[in-house]
Amino acid sequence: MAYCVLIVDDSPVMRSFIRRVLTLSGFEVGECIEAGNGEEALALLGAHPVDVILTDINMPGMNGEELLRRLGSDGILKSIPALVISTDATKERILRMLSLGAEGYMSKPFTPETLREELERVLGDRNVSRA
Amino acid sequence: MFPELELQSILEPAAADTIRQVVSDVLETMFFSEAETTPCDHAWLATAPGACVRFEGSHSGDMLLGISLEAADAIAGGFLGLDSPELTDTLRGQVLQELANILCGALLSHLWPASKLALASPEITAWQEWPVQELASETVLHRCFLLPEGMLALSIRLISAARAEPAA
Repeated sequence: MAYCVLIVDDSPVMRSFIRRVLTLSGFEVGECIEAGNGEEALALLGAHPVDVILTDINMPGMNGEELLRRLGSDGILKSIPALVISTDATKERILRMLSLGAEGYMSKPFTPETLREELERVLGDRNVSRA
Repeated sequence: MFPELELQSILEPAAADTIRQVVSDVLETMFFSEAETTPCDHAWLATAPGACVRFEGSHSGDMLLGISLEAADAIAGGFLGLDSPELTDTLRGQVLQELANILCGALLSHLWPASKLALASPEITAWQEWPVQELASETVLHRCFLLPEGMLALSIRLISAARAEPAA
C-alpha cells in the first residue's frame, strides 16, 4: 500500500530533492505529483486525490499561507494533511503556519528519517486514498 | 539602527560557532558533503560562482556565498543524486540558489530564533569582498570552509535600519 504525495515548491531542484528523500526514507510512495505554487496545487487537487501535501511557503503567485487558507475553507480538501517544508525556522512563522491549518512544520535542513517520521505522524490511521 | 545587543551577538564567538555548525549540518544533511572551517585564502573566489540572499524584518542585510567550481559540481550532484556529466549549468545554478536559501534561512533562524524575517529570492552573483567590520552602519561576519571537493566562503552583513532598502 502506498501514498499519493503532492509536493508544492517553486524550485524544481527542491521538488526533485524531496522526491529523492521520500525514496531514501523508505516511505511508501505510490505516486508523487508536483506543483510550482498554490494555484497549480489547487488545480491538481481538483482532479487528483492525494493523501498528503508537502508545501513550501515563499512562492510566486499563491504562496503557502494562502494555499493553507484555501485548503482550510474547502469542505473536502481540508481533510488532507499538509506539512510545511521551509527554510524559515523562526517561532513566529512556525506558529503562524500551524494556526493556518498545517499539521506539521519541517525546517531545512532535514533528514530522510525526519521526513518519514513526520509523514507517519500526520497520516496516522487516517482513511487515505491509496494510490 | 539595530539594537546594540544584536550588534554584539553576531561578532561573539558563539555566533561564529553557530555559523560553523549550521553550515556543517546543512551540507551533511541535504547535500551529502562535509565542511570544516579553514583559514581564508580568497584567490579562488575570482572565478567562483556565488549567490546572494537579502533579508529584512527585525534584522536587515544580506548573505553572500561563494563556492569553488569543483565543490559546486559535487554539491549539485549530491543534492540531486546525479553524476557530474548529467549536470547542466541550469541545474548547478538552481542548486546553488537553493543552497544559499537554505543556509541563509537556517543561519538567521539559529542566530535570532525570535526574529521576524523575510528572505528575498537568491540571486546568482559574483563574489564581493565585504571587509569584516563593526561600524555604526553595518556589521560583517565572514568564514571560509574546506569541503572534500573544494572551498566555500560565506559572509553575513547586517545593515542598520537607516541604510537598509526593502528586499525584492
